[in-house]
Amino acid sequence: MVDRATLAQARYDDLQYVDDPECLDFLAIYFANLITKLGKKLQFRQRVIATATVFFRRFYLKNSYCETDPFTVIAACCYLAAKAEESPIHIKVIVAESRAMFSQENYNVKNFSSDNSKIAEMEFYLVDDLEGDLIVFHPYRTLLSLCRKESGTHASSSNSEEGEADEGPGVGIEDGPRYWGTGEGQLELTSAALQTAWSIINDTYRSQLCLLHPPHLIAIASIYLTFILHPPARPDAAHTLDQDHANESSPEHPTPARQPRRSSRQANHAPSHTTSPKKPQDPIAFLADLNVSLPLVASIAQEIISLYTLWDRYKEDVSPEASKLARELTNSPMSSGASPLKRTGSRSESGLASTSGGGTPSAENRDDTVDPEGNYITPAFLSSVLQRMREAKLMDMAPRPVAVNKRLERTLAAG
Amino acid sequence: MLDEWSTSILNHDPMKLYRAKRDASHRSVTSKYNILGFISSGTYGRVYKAQSYDEEGTIHAIKKFKPDKEGDVVAYTGISQSAVREIALNREINHENIVALKEVILEDKSIYMVFEYAEHDFLQVIHHHSQTLRAPISHAVLKSLVYQLINGLLYLHSCHILHRDLKPANILITSKGVIKIGDLGLARLVYEPLQPLFAGDKVVVTIWYRAPELLMGAKHYTRAIDCWAVGCVMAELASLRPIFKGDEAKLDSKKNVPFQRDQLLKIFDVLGTPDEKDWPGVVDMPEYQSMKRLDHFANRLSDWCHSRIRATQGYDLLRQLFIYDPERRLTAKDALQHKWFQEEPKPTWNAFQSVPQHQIPPHRRITQDEAPSMMPAPQNTSHQGHGHIAGAVPFGQSHSKPGSSNSFASQSGGAAYASGGAPPSRKKARLG
Ligand SMILES: Nc1ncnc2c1ncn2[C@@H]1O[C@H](COP(=O)(O)OP(=O)(O)O)[C@@H](O)[C@H]1O
Ligand SMILES: [Mg+2]
Repeated sequence: MVDRATLAQARYDDLQYVDDPECLDFLAIYFANLITKLGKKLQFRQRVIATATVFFRRFYLKNSYCETDPFTVIAACCYLAAKAEESPIHIKVIVAESRAMFSQENYNVKNFSSDNSKIAEMEFYLVDDLEGDLIVFHPYRTLLSLCRKESGTHASSSNSEEGEADEGPGVGIEDGPRYWGTGEGQLELTSAALQTAWSIINDTYRSQLCLLHPPHLIAIASIYLTFILHPPARPDAAHTLDQDHANESSPEHPTPARQPRRSSRQANHAPSHTTSPKKPQDPIAFLADLNVSLPLVASIAQEIISLYTLWDRYKEDVSPEASKLARELTNSPMSSGASPLKRTGSRSESGLASTSGGGTPSAENRDDTVDPEGNYITPAFLSSVLQRMREAKLMDMAPRPVAVNKRLERTLAAG
Repeated sequence: MLDEWSTSILNHDPMKLYRAKRDASHRSVTSKYNILGFISSGTYGRVYKAQSYDEEGTIHAIKKFKPDKEGDVVAYTGISQSAVREIALNREINHENIVALKEVILEDKSIYMVFEYAEHDFLQVIHHHSQTLRAPISHAVLKSLVYQLINGLLYLHSCHILHRDLKPANILITSKGVIKIGDLGLARLVYEPLQPLFAGDKVVVTIWYRAPELLMGAKHYTRAIDCWAVGCVMAELASLRPIFKGDEAKLDSKKNVPFQRDQLLKIFDVLGTPDEKDWPGVVDMPEYQSMKRLDHFANRLSDWCHSRIRATQGYDLLRQLFIYDPERRLTAKDALQHKWFQEEPKPTWNAFQSVPQHQIPPHRRITQDEAPSMMPAPQNTSHQGHGHIAGAVPFGQSHSKPGSSNSFASQSGGAAYASGGAPPSRKKARLG
């Protein structure tokens, strides 16, 4: 994990070559999207895509966009991540697919080499820059060990192949404690909620969050946000992390029929519950019982919401899921209540609970989430920003007729 | 307007600035290590003995992965899965009984892994006893070797790592008598695998040490395969020859895995033919029908042990490591608790503690490398073959002259990083 100062330091050089610092945040989204798309094309599982993205982010902690070719780096990250996750692909395939994808009109990358050895060379340097640190732990694992589908079948043991939340066979209940100490019991989620939490985790890779926070906290923040979108079906469910969970011990909780019945964990912590084993789980109390800092979780949740706010202004073929989440979260009643989420600001005033009832926003009214000018940031725009950055950097580095740069010239010649 | 130089970089070599920067800061292998000699050539590369120029001139083993070649030219063709595994896993682990990785240097399209040096290995100890001493390994030494081996394996398993290639050549011993499991080139993490283990590598474990479920074509296997291999290694230490020395049936032209008839026969000859009572899952094994056609044998392990491991408890440990049913086979954890280790003579942390100095196996023999890539020019012959004089020459003594082995490898390509000592604890937390 690194701190924000280190992150800022890593982007220092790039900042010299952009007009608007925000461009760099959009580039972060753009590159992650590329990795995801390329990964999907290569039929990677979500975890391989996530690993490739982490490699990419770590690489750019040490290097700058303007001094490298991020497209080459993306291809190498995918190539290496596949090996690190024990599902290798042939180098020819990655080179061909990258080339085909990057040259599409909306990305407009013309000069991606078809030479295998370019990617292989990049992989070599990449391993070096990553200091051999190739095993990456992702929030998915925490999600699956903390939560399970309310049907009672364990999320990971369900048979559906398409459902991404089913990734990773072998996350047994017995594996949970390795990350959660003695925490017994899992939180039961509807499969829709589990899918939402999973998608939020996917989305966090569009930002630098994976560098700033440990995966288990990102997972918990995602679960927290999931509760905001899928509130437990009872009136007082709206208490949030910064409220203490006094409600938890209140015996007046209604027991909605749909609510899963699990009590082992709570029973151990709240004596009053031992007498009423039919108590529904209180998700917030469940999270509060985990041995983690809740203010930290809340602030990570806040960062995720900021990401969605930013992402809302970026237009590729935004996954419908992402834009839906973005909308729902920024419009959520949570974001205007006495919760840490209220600072999401800008949009929470518009239509408070309009979408929180679980209704999918229709395609037509999606447009009202766009900023007034209607300006989207597009991949093509970002490609050209990047191109300009790299050109400007090269101009600065270019050997001049004067002898000032002789040393650099020699170094370059040696390379 | 962009000048020609910039345009050409953007279009033809977009990583040029990066490469130049990295190469400029690179410290080469030979600037850090004096290559003393060549140790061994294996499947994936060559191993050298080297002395560090800094610190206190510590001795290391440097494993150089074969660079890939396209025709005659060395080219970047992608890092092998084996190297990726070995680098990735070694970065995560840290244990007294696992050989420690000190650093990885990427240079000149080759990967160099710098390990702590281990003076002996099980293969060499076995050889020393069968050829030189012509006497069995003493009970105390045998027990210490097996104990520490299991101790290292338990650590790997608790990190969710299967070794998948345990055999005498991959189990090292330091001059202080501490066992170091090495060669993680086939090892892999089995925590939440994205693909079934079988899908990745069709053949794992050297044939003599391969567990029956693998020989029977199991698609799924567990850490029990490593425990079987421990049994084989223990038996080999006790008898000084492989217990199940079968002939391997080779992959056919379509790369189908053949039925390993001879290897199974060698196992059945000692342990008897398994039946459903011993191993309920055996009937579901892909090769079950082929197995049924083999001659029938009775178990005679107790006889086998009688002349080789006299202690009853020793026999019992071996018997349990050789349980056919992988689910009932002794785990590393239980093996470590076995009674044999509690009775006298107790295992010692210096496995050679009870051995008289003159019987300690000789130092590793190092030679001049036939392949010129890593070694100093041939006239520098002082390294050659001193190692076999047991304990006589402190290693590395006369060849620490800095700069004496600079002749291989140019300065270009790659950079080094140090993983320096114990991995940070967050890594351990990630793995378990
Ligand atoms: N750390 C070490 N110290 C001393 N010798 C070593 C060390 N590591 C490996 N060797 C020697 O080199 C041989 C091959 O190394 P190994 O890691 O097993 O590579 P391979 O994958 O080629 O089998 C070993 O059998 C051993 O003799
Ligand atoms: Mg080996």
